[in-house]
Amino acid sequence: MIRNHPGDELLSSYSAGSLPLGQALCVSIHSEFCTNCRKKLKRFSQVGGELMLRLNRATVSLDLKNTILNKIDEDSDSLERDHQDMSYSGKNKVSNVRSGAGESSVPRGLRQFVKSDYQEMPWRRVAKSIHNIELFKDDENTKVEILKIKSGGSVTTHFHLGDEYTVILEGSFSDEDGLYQQGDFLVRNSWDEHTPVATQDRDCICLAVSEAPLQFAGFFKRLLNPLIRLSYSQN
Amino acid sequence: MGPTGNPNQEVELLSECISLVANALDKQAFTTLFDHYAPLIRAYSLAQEPGADLVADELVQEVMIRVWLKAKSYNPCLSNINTWLFRLARNCRIDYLRRNGRFASGIDPTEIFNQIEDDSPSPFLLASQSRLQDDIRTGLENLPQEQAQILNKVYLEGKTHREVSAELRLPLGTVKSRVRLALKKMQCLIAR
Ligand SMILES: [Zn+2]
Repeated sequence: MIRNHPGDELLSSYSAGSLPLGQALCVSIHSEFCTNCRKKLKRFSQVGGELMLRLNRATVSLDLKNTILNKIDEDSDSLERDHQDMSYSGKNKVSNVRSGAGESSVPRGLRQFVKSDYQEMPWRRVAKSIHNIELFKDDENTKVEILKIKSGGSVTTHFHLGDEYTVILEGSFSDEDGLYQQGDFLVRNSWDEHTPVATQDRDCICLAVSEAPLQFAGFFKRLLNPLIRLSYSQN
Repeated sequence: MGPTGNPNQEVELLSECISLVANALDKQAFTTLFDHYAPLIRAYSLAQEPGADLVADELVQEVMIRVWLKAKSYNPCLSNINTWLFRLARNCRIDYLRRNGRFASGIDPTEIFNQIEDDSPSPFLLASQSRLQDDIRTGLENLPQEQAQILNKVYLEGKTHREVSAELRLPLGTVKSRVRLALKKMQCLIAR
């Protein structure tokens, strides 16, 4: 039972397409686990559809129209092939969130990074009970990673600079506020002090996005970097 | 506005066009869709990057070709046609930005944004969807300017709350609460 959800502000920004990619990934992974949030996202996208309709229509040149009409006149198969080559991939298209769920316990939105099994990934040890896999850097200030916390292990976030978003993928952990399980979505601000501990029965795997505020970018951030690395404390 | 004055008739007509494209590769129907949506897609692109005419043309092309190729995947029982088009335009715009270096490279954002919200159809879905459409329209008509402005920046200009707060010199909390108030006014926060 999922008890922790992204706020409506976050969900609507996702639907609007204006959420930074790392946060968007967290929202989408949570929503794969959560019917309620999927329903909300749909409503919030409908708002986008209505807003788009109210835009002042911009003139489209006859040239552009003819170019596009000519393109669809081409053989549809070759058009599809060309199109997939040149732009957004049509590969791995899955028309429904649920399909394919049986083959892998990895959420669909993570399969471009993790094919089938977290255990097969090249985990890097960052502290005694913590391993990570860095997925990508959204921009200079945001790190998107998967963390594995050994059963019973803890992560003490003495020091982090910006907001942190976490979605639990497998296992569970608890902190001062309670127990978090698969699908739970958490946001922590730099002033929160929490000591999450993975439960004893199994490792806890979670998706984590951490951002440093803009003022720490550049020189300052490089200066602070060793501290950020140390923020995964040992237990 | 569109082909007809009545919004619900318009949605019906455009949905019919989509199914003609899907089932019969009907070019006349595609042209109707083009004439309706291309100017909106162009305006959507220009809302984010005013003056960037080439980018806007490219987005129109990406989205409309996708409409032609993916018409079969549109299911009128699952979502409103305007919502479907908005999602296509949104995903193409995000992908365009990534390919041009504004976002992380080496990852495929369409996988992050693709169709996550579609649920299995239910007998009440269609009715509740058109009721929601009416609520959103009425809500938008009556939205205070300060809320409408923020909604436009987030949805159409594609700005993060932080960017909106910097641009309008408003505290981040105010931006968030105005978004929330607007969503509430459009009846988007009640479960259906
Ligand atoms: Zn949820």
